[in-house]
Amino acid sequence: MLKALAYIFGFLLIGELITYFFKIPIAGNILGMFLIFLALRLKIVKLEDVKPASDKLIKYLVLFFIPYGVGLMVYFEIIADYWLPISVAVIASTVITLYVSAIIIEKFGK
Amino acid sequence: MQEFFQLPVFGVFISIIAFAGARELRKKFNYVLLNPVLVAIVFIISFLLIFNIEFEDYNRGGKFISFFLGPSVVALGVFFYEKYEEVKQNLKVFLLSVVVGGITGILTVIIFLLLLKVPGFIIESLAAKSVTTPIAIEITKLTGGIPEITAGIVIAVGIFGNAFGPFILKKLGIKSKIAIGTALGTAAHGIGTARAFEESKLAGVYSGLAMCVNGIITALITPYLLQLFLGGIS
Repeated sequence: MLKALAYIFGFLLIGELITYFFKIPIAGNILGMFLIFLALRLKIVKLEDVKPASDKLIKYLVLFFIPYGVGLMVYFEIIADYWLPISVAVIASTVITLYVSAIIIEKFGK
Repeated sequence: MQEFFQLPVFGVFISIIAFAGARELRKKFNYVLLNPVLVAIVFIISFLLIFNIEFEDYNRGGKFISFFLGPSVVALGVFFYEKYEEVKQNLKVFLLSVVVGGITGILTVIIFLLLLKVPGFIIESLAAKSVTTPIAIEITKLTGGIPEITAGIVIAVGIFGNAFGPFILKKLGIKSKIAIGTALGTAAHGIGTARAFEESKLAGVYSGLAMCVNGIITALITPYLLQLFLGGIS
């Protein structure tokens, strides 16, 4: 488990370092996700060395974003002022996205 | 009493307890609005309002919980590697679906919000509304929006997709479980993926992978699309 955590945080650190030094507009954790995928594909890192930590993190993923959700209370009045346009835009966009994504697989998938 | 609530352990404890309690509630009553994240957030906000506790005080502990979003995104890369084999035979069509769906999601929400004359900082906060919360939050930090607004709406989008996604898609004539799974992951991230797993195991895998791929695509292009549409506003 410790080894797995060291890998996960190591790749996060590398991602943050790249973002920090090259000032590219991609979050360090997203780079870390991409790099750990590459490292696994290229067999630089073994799956069983990272799996114990990654499984646990994914299992509790939803818990980790609760504080941000609670933070919405600070912005409640701003959201309240625009709740109708926001709802319309977000729901319409989500339905279109669902359909576009689904129809491509429905038509061309196996 | 207010000083007590400023101890980090308060924020940590109430987050864990609210989430654990909300999950138990969901097990007892399988009703879509009893989404554990939604229930936990509503419970904590109510508690803070009733006892007159500032969000900043709660977040002294809360930030220890949300810190783990960073390594969790890295963990999604491991998940992607593990499941990669299962989508291999459909890989090209799958990627096409997620790329086109993902870009559609960003473009349509920006355009609709612009047409409805919503202020720029809200558009910046909502452009990444389709992707998993930790990634959406990072994108919003980069584009100058408000991460808390992003988190709230992203969770709402997930719940919408979870509750109505498969129903809408079936009404629109979609039959393939893989198509429904991919669409849920692309448009409604992890909360949608939970629903995809209820449709079938394979739909769930496609959904989880679609969530990862769309996270990367959206992270890469959202800053540029926002610049294109909003230009000097931010």
